[in-house]
Amino acid sequence: MTTVAQRKKALQQAGYNTFLLKSEDVYIDLLTDSGTSAMSDRQWAGMMLGDEAYAGSANFYHLEQVVRDIYGYKHMIPTHQGRGAENILSKVLIKKGDIIPGNMYFTTTRLHQELAGGRFEDIIINEAHDPENEFPFKGNVNLEKLEALIKKHGAKKIPYVSIATSVNMAGGQPISMKNLKDVRALTNKYGIRIIHDMTRVAENAYFIQQREKGYDKKSIASIVKEICSYTDGATMSAKKDALVNIGGFLAVNDWDVFEEARNMVVIYEGLHTYGGLAGRDMEAMAIGIGESVNDDHIKARIGQVIYLGEKMIEYEIPIVKPIGGHGIFVDAKKFLPHIPQDAFPAQTLAAEVYLDSGIRTMERGIVSAGRKANGENYYPKLELVRFTIPRRVYTQAHMDVIAESTQRVFEKRDRIKGMEMVYEPKYLRFFQAKFRKL
Amino acid sequence: MKTIIEPFKIKSVEPINFNTKEERIKILKEAFYNPFLINSDDVLIDLLTDSGTSAMSSNQWAGIMKGDESYAGSPSFFRFKDAVQDITGMPDVIPAHQGRAAEKILFSILGGKGKYFISNTLFDTTRANIEFSGAEGIDLLCEEGKLTSVPAPFKGNMDVAALKKVIVEKGSENIPLCIITITNNSGGGQPVSMQNIKEVKEVCAAHNIPMFIDACRFAENSYFIKIREAGYSNKTVKEIAQEIFSYADGCTMSAKKDAFANIGGFLALHDKDLALKCRNLLVITEGFPTYGGLAGRDLEAIAIGLVEVLDENYLQYRIRSIEYLTNKLIAAGVPVMQPAGGHAVYLDAKEFLSHIPVEQYPGQALTGALYIEGGVRGVEIGSLMFGKYDEENKLIPAQMELVRLAIPRRVYTQSHIDYVSEVIIEVYNNRSKITGLKIIEEALMLRHFTAKLQPIDQ
Repeated sequence: MTTVAQRKKALQQAGYNTFLLKSEDVYIDLLTDSGTSAMSDRQWAGMMLGDEAYAGSANFYHLEQVVRDIYGYKHMIPTHQGRGAENILSKVLIKKGDIIPGNMYFTTTRLHQELAGGRFEDIIINEAHDPENEFPFKGNVNLEKLEALIKKHGAKKIPYVSIATSVNMAGGQPISMKNLKDVRALTNKYGIRIIHDMTRVAENAYFIQQREKGYDKKSIASIVKEICSYTDGATMSAKKDALVNIGGFLAVNDWDVFEEARNMVVIYEGLHTYGGLAGRDMEAMAIGIGESVNDDHIKARIGQVIYLGEKMIEYEIPIVKPIGGHGIFVDAKKFLPHIPQDAFPAQTLAAEVYLDSGIRTMERGIVSAGRKANGENYYPKLELVRFTIPRRVYTQAHMDVIAESTQRVFEKRDRIKGMEMVYEPKYLRFFQAKFRKL
Repeated sequence: MKTIIEPFKIKSVEPINFNTKEERIKILKEAFYNPFLINSDDVLIDLLTDSGTSAMSSNQWAGIMKGDESYAGSPSFFRFKDAVQDITGMPDVIPAHQGRAAEKILFSILGGKGKYFISNTLFDTTRANIEFSGAEGIDLLCEEGKLTSVPAPFKGNMDVAALKKVIVEKGSENIPLCIITITNNSGGGQPVSMQNIKEVKEVCAAHNIPMFIDACRFAENSYFIKIREAGYSNKTVKEIAQEIFSYADGCTMSAKKDAFANIGGFLALHDKDLALKCRNLLVITEGFPTYGGLAGRDLEAIAIGLVEVLDENYLQYRIRSIEYLTNKLIAAGVPVMQPAGGHAVYLDAKEFLSHIPVEQYPGQALTGALYIEGGVRGVEIGSLMFGKYDEENKLIPAQMELVRLAIPRRVYTQSHIDYVSEVIIEVYNNRSKITGLKIIEEALMLRHFTAKLQPIDQ
């Protein structure tokens, strides 16, 4: 526990960037749901079964089998985390001048596409950019936009369509099975691959089960497998759905892509049977993937997020609706309407929430969006603060504290001033940027 | 007492899966005569590498349970940073998921076409990272280091006269770094003397070239300095390690070796600007600067391992056990690299299989024979790993054809080592029956990891 005076000092030292706070100075850590899950007793038992052989570890074969059984992808290469898989996939598939359509950008994904010479084009439906719109599948692809892009650039310029399940930057919003099937039909027509950003596929499956016609009797496991069946490959950060602290993989059905990726993984990650992971971490991942598609687990997981969201709505705090899968996304533009986007309303709000109670959240607005190749800022429509809920870590009492604290900040919102950026790193600036109060 | 016992007792065991010679013949064939492609369940004694294969201590496992998995600013990171700084004295410490990732970042900033990186000997992934950036790596190993059968105390030393010459030839402005690998892995795990490190530093400083240490086995090298170099016998290994790092401008380390960790590595340096550039790249491929792609628990395990490895009882046992195996082989007439190195026994495959020409990869053929005979897995460090092709697609062989039998730290006991020596001697006595290999499939870079081979018909 810290005092207001201690938090004020910690915040100044961190340049008003919650990423730069020491975790010891944080009371409830909602910075991310990535790598912060509590592992189960079975996963810890798996940790003790790590086979740390450099080549051909038994844990690798276990993981490979689980990826085949649960997701249905044929070939799997482990990586130390999701961005390791994105890096390799982008380098293998993207050529200079290529276009990669996707249902909203994600920070590291887009950067890897750009560094490989490609350009990201957003094809998410317009509803996704409106925090108030309660459309049930705000992760859906606008099929006209996608087809127009294909016609404009030609299928040869589009190495793959990038489809995220449970779209993070839109607020953890799901894509429907119907929409995914339509995207598959359209891409088949033009012979274009679909690569699945599957880090929260089980959470997406839960929303399909709850909201989409014909899926209410199906298990999460069968819905997850069906989703994957409409795609040709995937990048996975196992630090989310799969309940591990470290790890990820790249999976593809195409042998040639697999072979090229396997040759590349030794340079960046490690030999293809460990990919930069300890054997024990592959074992924990294999077990965690099984747990992630358990219906009771997902129900409790998303139930907790919805509990927090409904409390915030009750307190009239503006949040993205409908409530998403992995966190509550507070609408900073509405929360702090007097602060222009250039003065970083979401970054400011994240700092204020920390100051009030030691709760650490993350900016997902103009700072995260970064700059275009020509140096101009991206101005995203959504200017959000993400309250991400780690899996199986906090209790309902913690959720109550979070809602109450946010309400206190909401009451004094008129007195909050914006900020200016005083240090800006070249890549992924949100991680290490520093700010000053105006 | 004459016998040096393992300075630990065993708390938890991992069973070995036994198989027969007939089964192993089949397994090796299915793995295309490449030990990297054999499942570890099919290996009896795994000497493929000492990297990431150490047994952690009970203290390290306790650290694993203490790991703080916060994405940013974890206390586990600060403990890790303190441990690295205590030994290296370097202000900027950047974690990475393993050593090659730290190198990758460093060389993508400093490398590029027209640049030269000079070293005593660059290891395979280090060289690959340098070449991937478009730059060239130049190995300047001292003369005695190239002669496997001649014992000398510091066969990992750099040839300082050659260094001066190359700097003049290539121009210091084209040499972003000089890298000393301690101990010299590809050259037989042989140590570098403090005297040599000092001399290299002087030459580099005179030409404004930063000197970095590839520090994977810094403790083993420090121990060799203590027992072999004049003036160091009364110093602690930690003091010696600190002195080594005091001459360096930076270092990369795979913590999977001398830090007893199963995963992890780091980059540490003095240059603030370079550190900032490295962190900017780190977030793209590795992770946020306070975790670098590692779980918090792994940062804890490294911090504890870095303290444990400097225990002199441990180092005495470690170095002595390698020497024990080497001496047994020498007594049986098996051609091995002399004197014993720090982490592995290196068989001289060129002499061991003198009837197999280098174009038929005698080292790789020998790894296959050792596997079939006793389920022992070693690795070729020769023309499969380092060979290249000239314009006419003819093999340019490596300097040496070695088979490395790397001993994992704190994993095997003396009876395992006795078994290994029996297997090697048995293979040696029947060596004339072993045939050469040819490559049927290979990747452009780091081909030894995935290459497929087959025996040459007689």
